[in-house]
Amino acid sequence: MSQAQGIQLGQEQGGLVSRIRVTIARRTEGRALALLILVAIATWITEPTAFTAWEVTLGRVALIGLVALGLTAVILMGELDLSVASTLAVCGVVMASIDNLALGVVAALAVGLIIGVVNAFFVVVVGINSFIASLGMLFFLRGAAFVISNEEPVRLASRDAGIAFGKPFLGPLTPRMVIFIVAFIALQVFVTRVRAGREFYAVGGNREAAYDAGIPVRRRIFTGFMISGFVAALAGVINTLERTAADPTAGSTVLLASFAAAIIGGVLLTGGRGSIFGTLLGATSLGILQVALTLTGVQVDVQNIVIGLVLLLAVITDPNSLRTVVGSARSLFQGRSGSHPVG
Amino acid sequence: MRSRYTRWISIFAVLAIVLAACGGDDTSDTTAAGSTDETTADAGGDTYEVFALLPQGNDQPYGSTYLPPMQEEADRLGINLTITNSQYDADKQASECEVAVAANPDLIILWPAVGDTVRPCLEAAADAGIPVTVTNSDVNPEDKDLTAAYSGPDTYGQGVASAEIFCDLAGGEDVGIIMVNGLTGNSTAIDREAGFEDTINDQCPNVTILARQPGNWNKDESQIAASEMITAVGAENIGGVYAADDTMVAGVIDALKARDIDPASLIITSIGNTFLGNPLVKSGELDGTVFQSSSWDGGNAITTAYEVLTESPSERIVKFMPSVKVTADNAEDASVAPEW
Repeated sequence: MSQAQGIQLGQEQGGLVSRIRVTIARRTEGRALALLILVAIATWITEPTAFTAWEVTLGRVALIGLVALGLTAVILMGELDLSVASTLAVCGVVMASIDNLALGVVAALAVGLIIGVVNAFFVVVVGINSFIASLGMLFFLRGAAFVISNEEPVRLASRDAGIAFGKPFLGPLTPRMVIFIVAFIALQVFVTRVRAGREFYAVGGNREAAYDAGIPVRRRIFTGFMISGFVAALAGVINTLERTAADPTAGSTVLLASFAAAIIGGVLLTGGRGSIFGTLLGATSLGILQVALTLTGVQVDVQNIVIGLVLLLAVITDPNSLRTVVGSARSLFQGRSGSHPVG
Repeated sequence: MRSRYTRWISIFAVLAIVLAACGGDDTSDTTAAGSTDETTADAGGDTYEVFALLPQGNDQPYGSTYLPPMQEEADRLGINLTITNSQYDADKQASECEVAVAANPDLIILWPAVGDTVRPCLEAAADAGIPVTVTNSDVNPEDKDLTAAYSGPDTYGQGVASAEIFCDLAGGEDVGIIMVNGLTGNSTAIDREAGFEDTINDQCPNVTILARQPGNWNKDESQIAASEMITAVGAENIGGVYAADDTMVAGVIDALKARDIDPASLIITSIGNTFLGNPLVKSGELDGTVFQSSSWDGGNAITTAYEVLTESPSERIVKFMPSVKVTADNAEDASVAPEW
């Protein structure tokens, strides 16, 4: 190899490494990917069954991730939807209350969409903060689920159909997994390739600038909440089918897990930054972690500690957070050294 | 710049691995169901790998006193236990069931979070050839053929026993009562309510239920629910209270006191005989409760599972915890000393 060729190769390699570094640094998924690798390595060492029984882990990822994907659409615009778990519950109950399975599914999904519209109406038209509006909706829907279900689990008219739905139909993949993958692709394409989806970032990043740029902000917020409601309803439908009954208390652990998946995935709660792919990575980390911890038999409080630490790890490794921490530490030490008496 | 990133990544890598390893070490003596493909039992020894899918654990008073005798009994009988806690989330328990089936244990102990939703889990276990025993709350009648045993309280019978105490005290008098039930949709709550209601309808129809609300097994929520019902039906119309457990009855008694109503002037019954309920019986504020022994429950979950593992019985085993009535007459007895 000539010297010139060596230099060129070195530059190419350096350029590639540099490009990878820049890509990882720029993309919010970079940290989520690093975290996923850490979780995967730790799990591989301590509980490899989480990988050998990968279809179970994938099922857990789909369970956590589906609602999180829909939620991300809202968070990207700097809004919150706390009603997703209650939407899941009430849509499940609506579906199970209708004897005709197909009609029940359609009704449940329609209810999810309507819930999204109502949430968006309160946020956009009435002007209520999305945290408060969706908190109110959370309580309303939970109560509605109890009232509709007569305060008891509602069984599917066709339990056999439900049991069949929960079984693998495409190799080891169950319908839940396939729907999750389809939902991920659809949302990823929408947010990255469709103009309306890309505008979510503008709405979340700088709302005033988005208005000035002629982006129909109100319509985008309606779309985001409708996606969130629809996907939560879809999760309710899947859960009800797989369990063969709708439980009005369903989804009690869904809300926090969904937010955790989005945050671990690098989605900024104030909007404008993050991605559907990041949420997928976050849900995957969380799913692997949960399955591994379940296999080890660790008590749920210890599980919560581990998941909480991973969440904190994801948050504090954010470059902005790091800069803030470093800046605060510097000013603290400088302040102290400055206050020392001279001599 | 590079060294700074490398340092951070190294720190987090070590932290994550240590955390995960800590989790594994925590239960190293009771786990590894998934990491050993061939259990000692399969190899001809006398230890077994068992998954216990529970909806509560150390996060609840009952669970925290249920677990130690369970673990003790498991250690004694050579059972390696892997315990999960779904926190009454049916979807989470279903997912834990999938994990358990994938780990291929010798047996699964199931405490259903929501009775109506466990059929797919039972079918998956049956397909994998893993026997399932049920603890604390039995499965629905049509699902029983997929389970090998049940041990735990007779939840319907507990409601019956509580109602019998009530009927004895009511005599032939017309009494209007308020009911505070357990978590809505929970099978134990449903069974106890049904047991109580069926029995008063049968044995003392002079007792009328004026209002009922869920207290969600929680003292504060029960206090609020009771307070609302007192307002709704009028304090003067209330002659008695039934609460589905002692924690909730303590909330009801606080609500009565807050309205200057002497609890001792009403007929009040409950279920549990807990550290909270037993002193109330002794003080006369609670007329009667039904003893539920968490240690019996936890211990028998294991002995029943062991029986299934070692004897492979052809018939479904059913072991009911005795529903012992506790009133002022026997509240001091050592045999009914509260456990949780």
